[in-house]
Amino acid sequence: MVVSVGGVTSGVAGALDGQARPGRVPDVVRSGSGRRDVLRGLFAAAGALALAPLVAASRPPRGADDPGEVAFDETYRGRHIRGIKTTAGRDFGADSWHVTVDGRQLELMRRADGTWLSMVDHYRSYDTPLEAARAAVDELGPGQQLRETPMGHTGTTGEMDGMGGHHGVRP
Amino acid sequence: MAWGDTMVYVRKDASTLTSAEKRRFVKAMLEIKRRGEYDEFVRMHIDYYVTDGEGGLRTAHMAPSFLPWHRRFLLDLERALRRVDASVTVPYWDWTKDRKAGAGPWTADLLGGTGRRSDRQVTTGPFAYATGNWTIKEGVTDGEFLTRDLGRARDPIELPTKAELESALADPVYDVSPWDSTAAKGFRNRLEGWGSGRGSAAWRNHNRVHRWVGGVMVGGASVNDPVFWLHHAFVDLQWSRWQRRHPGARYLPAKPAQPGSAQYRRIVARHEKLPPWDVTPDSLEDVGGIYRYA
Repeated sequence: MVVSVGGVTSGVAGALDGQARPGRVPDVVRSGSGRRDVLRGLFAAAGALALAPLVAASRPPRGADDPGEVAFDETYRGRHIRGIKTTAGRDFGADSWHVTVDGRQLELMRRADGTWLSMVDHYRSYDTPLEAARAAVDELGPGQQLRETPMGHTGTTGEMDGMGGHHGVRP
Repeated sequence: MAWGDTMVYVRKDASTLTSAEKRRFVKAMLEIKRRGEYDEFVRMHIDYYVTDGEGGLRTAHMAPSFLPWHRRFLLDLERALRRVDASVTVPYWDWTKDRKAGAGPWTADLLGGTGRRSDRQVTTGPFAYATGNWTIKEGVTDGEFLTRDLGRARDPIELPTKAELESALADPVYDVSPWDSTAAKGFRNRLEGWGSGRGSAAWRNHNRVHRWVGGVMVGGASVNDPVFWLHHAFVDLQWSRWQRRHPGARYLPAKPAQPGSAQYRRIVARHEKLPPWDVTPDSLEDVGGIYRYA
């Protein structure tokens, strides 16, 4: 039996209802609580347009309040890893980072304890973005590169999420 | 709405499946992949992986709803499979028992084995790239093939032990404040497995299994490896076992976080909607009317 509690389906049979087809842009993303919106807010705060050339050319951002600084730039196991730190993401009371491996963006996410995890290594975290970047390199197979267009949130190919509402749910 | 049938169906230990059962499971997986449905599941899991160091609502990970979110995710996958073949259910991989890279689900008639040394490409079984049936479309890297590194060859680690899983099951409280990856107690985080340690101690239970399989399973697009479902069916089974062990223990938090609290609008309480679905954790606590585990 399905009963309705405050408009939300409940009860045993409720587990079967409330169908959301995966792939459709879910309400939560539209309404601003999904993963992409988190980063959208971050980039919007920084001035997404100001960041676009940075992302394209992998250079420190220009025109933003904080141009960012190259925090690391090294070759690790044959891969070029680079991290640029900016204070652009003040919304979250933390620095934001742009990290690349061989020039392609490595998405980093923050844990509540201040540690970092990457899109490549998603089930543990590391003390610093540099450690997370090295761990990602450890995990990349020989000859494998990160995708040109990252899976997640930041929309580095000029198509900023905050501008076009692109949620990566491809047609 | 109808779920497709009214009979309670059974999810089985993968190691007990008959040849025909394995064949039909594999065939249904390949069919939903061919239809493009499978990649929608991959994408959805990526979209809902919000970490607790960022703002926003967390539903799938680092949150109390880790278990109901994946329970419903499995039900959706299973429903897609059963539209293809109504006899199919998602098997589970008991990683406390089947702990070797060459056995358990890692056989050529089910999931195939570990990746080859040179590039970790899985070359055996029905999900090998060369079959043409399992091309990765929603990946973190530009590789189109499934990768695995069972046991992490360069720096071996072990699967979680029975004792480690027991440490989660023995906790009588579902979840505790701060309701995230730093919760030091509670069944949910002990099972999800966010450790605070360095090195090998950083992975526990659920997380450690992702690490042990390696390749795509350790990344954001982990759903690309079909073992994702067998792993999460076993995790889901632990929730049922925990409920039996602790009669009356419920999903927590029971009430939404209040304005002003750090978790306000960032976690899902028992009777709140669990995006992207219109269901509540409460409605997913008892699924005995839908399936059971053998």
